[in-house]
Amino acid sequence: MTSLTLKELSADAIAALSRQRGEPAWLTERRSEAWSFFAQSGPPEWRRTDLSGLRPEELAPTTGTALTLEWDEALAGQGVTLKPLGAALSSHAELIKARMDTAVAALEHKFSALRAALWQDGVLLHVPKNVAAETPIRVRYGLPAGSRVTFPRTLVIVEDHAQVTLIEEFFSGDQPATALAAPVTEIFAGPGSRVRFVSVQRWGDGVYHIGGQKVVLERDADLEWTSVAIGAKVQHIEAETALKGDGSRVNWLGATFAGDAQKLLTAPWLRHIGHHAESYMEFRTVVNDTGYSVFDGMIKIERESTGTSTRLEEHALHLNPGARNDSIPGLKIDTNSVLKGGHASTSGDVDEEQLFYMQSRGISKTEARRMIVMGFFGPALDTIPVEALRAELEAAIEAKILS
Amino acid sequence: MSNDLVIKDLQARIGEKEILKGVNLTVQGGTIHAIMGPNGSGKSTLASVIAGHPGYEVTGGEIWYRGQNILELEPDERSKLGLFLAFQYPVSVPGVTVANFLRAAINAHRAEEGKDPRETAIPVAEFRKQLREGMKLLEMDESFARRYLNEGFSGGEKKRLEILQMTMLKPSMAVMDETDSGLDIDALRIVAEGVNRLAGPEMGVLVITHYQRLLNYIKPQFVSVMMDGRIVREGGPELALELEEKGYDWLREELAGTA
Repeated sequence: MTSLTLKELSADAIAALSRQRGEPAWLTERRSEAWSFFAQSGPPEWRRTDLSGLRPEELAPTTGTALTLEWDEALAGQGVTLKPLGAALSSHAELIKARMDTAVAALEHKFSALRAALWQDGVLLHVPKNVAAETPIRVRYGLPAGSRVTFPRTLVIVEDHAQVTLIEEFFSGDQPATALAAPVTEIFAGPGSRVRFVSVQRWGDGVYHIGGQKVVLERDADLEWTSVAIGAKVQHIEAETALKGDGSRVNWLGATFAGDAQKLLTAPWLRHIGHHAESYMEFRTVVNDTGYSVFDGMIKIERESTGTSTRLEEHALHLNPGARNDSIPGLKIDTNSVLKGGHASTSGDVDEEQLFYMQSRGISKTEARRMIVMGFFGPALDTIPVEALRAELEAAIEAKILS
Repeated sequence: MSNDLVIKDLQARIGEKEILKGVNLTVQGGTIHAIMGPNGSGKSTLASVIAGHPGYEVTGGEIWYRGQNILELEPDERSKLGLFLAFQYPVSVPGVTVANFLRAAINAHRAEEGKDPRETAIPVAEFRKQLREGMKLLEMDESFARRYLNEGFSGGEKKRLEILQMTMLKPSMAVMDETDSGLDIDALRIVAEGVNRLAGPEMGVLVITHYQRLLNYIKPQFVSVMMDGRIVREGGPELALELEEKGYDWLREELAGTA
């Protein structure tokens, strides 16, 4: 794209660029339509996400990309497709057209529309029927060189009885000026499939992360999802697991750390649609300095579902009296046939008795706090299948404890 | 430097409540010394104050150990000086395994100023060996090491873990706070044997207990009696037997009579 700022861009310019890149007509049309929606809509009314420091109209998208794919290419021999979404448009146009923006609506709010109009970086991951991709696939998005705005888009289709492990990361250094990342991740888990999904948000300071994530589980699909959020200046993530198929199952762990003056909001939803589906969600949050985190979780049990079994837990640990955590778990049940439902929530300071006990064995207070926090995040971090990434995250978390 | 633990006119309170009202006590290094006393006499508070519990405010007095008034030290510094407290109610720490906790504690003891901690850390094989040996002596299953610290442990398991920590940290003075509470005879025997293996010239022991029962297993050379925040009588093992036979009321009346 040109180095025009958003206020200088137009639907015509966007359409022209799309045609110039040889994109299919339907995509050009979608981009134009999304741009019109963006141009006409006001800022979203999010009560707990403060966007006052973000001036999107002054941001200038570039055509640059910042995408790294790491995987064992032997998986390609098994029939697995992993490629940048732009390139996949020529090989998998129909698949992309049929699935893209069907899990997470494009015209939901100003930023989702902006993403639909301007996205560049993206990935298509397709795992064919009955294929078990044993080794983890890593997708890492950054900020394109010289740019302060990006709209990453991950589209994952896992066919019947296939298996895959995907790690999606958002990463950058600290930014000297305000930057915007508005990604979307859509995962379609077919009947009987098994998906391990690790999402990691660790942008540097200055980045506003406004993201949407949704996994749709068909019959008997099984999802293990770990959400890690430790970076960015402001985060607003709306995430959902839709248990659409009968007997589908999710185990969803979260680890959020808001330090400095970070404001990190996560709104994870469990939506039960199918019969006899099982869900478990456990989010853990640490706040330090003047950090602020919001857990806006929800269990929604739709009218047509029966035999649902679900549990939601949220635990928060405060390392500093100036830090804050809001927990707003909700439960909406539109059926009278729920098998099991539960909720637990705790919030508090690092326990003085624990610190004293550990200190009485010679461990310094600082080290004791570090061990308690790392232990608190242990269940989530233990699920990360790549040792090097886990070590990097542990080091980043340790640095935030000591700050 | 003396390995005697010398407590001089120690006064402490929790909130507005005075609990220690001038404790004077010397525990000679390398000896076993028991403190007995009725409930609420301040025995456990004394143990907590020795270890540096932040919930108590020391309002007067001194505690000397190895040439330092330890009231000026953080709890971890007291530990590194060779003091150990076996807790009456060990604290659970979810997410921290027994093995990781023990290794961190040992490495903290081995750390030296100006040296890279990686250089002074216990080699992994050496740590595993010590851990295995310690657990075997205390009849603990190896799976113990992988469990979270005291999380879901039975009373007996918690106390055995306290002794395992003591075994591995090799303190020069151990304070046992009501270690017998909540233990059946079997567990009591295992725990007492663990203490007796370590007690001797290298390690003095201050045993705090309400009952004589524990002293059948861990035999003290000296017995002090605490009542109402003070040491009111000192003697040898015969004093413990006398208290067991007659209870504390007898002593209370005698003290009132002499006052």
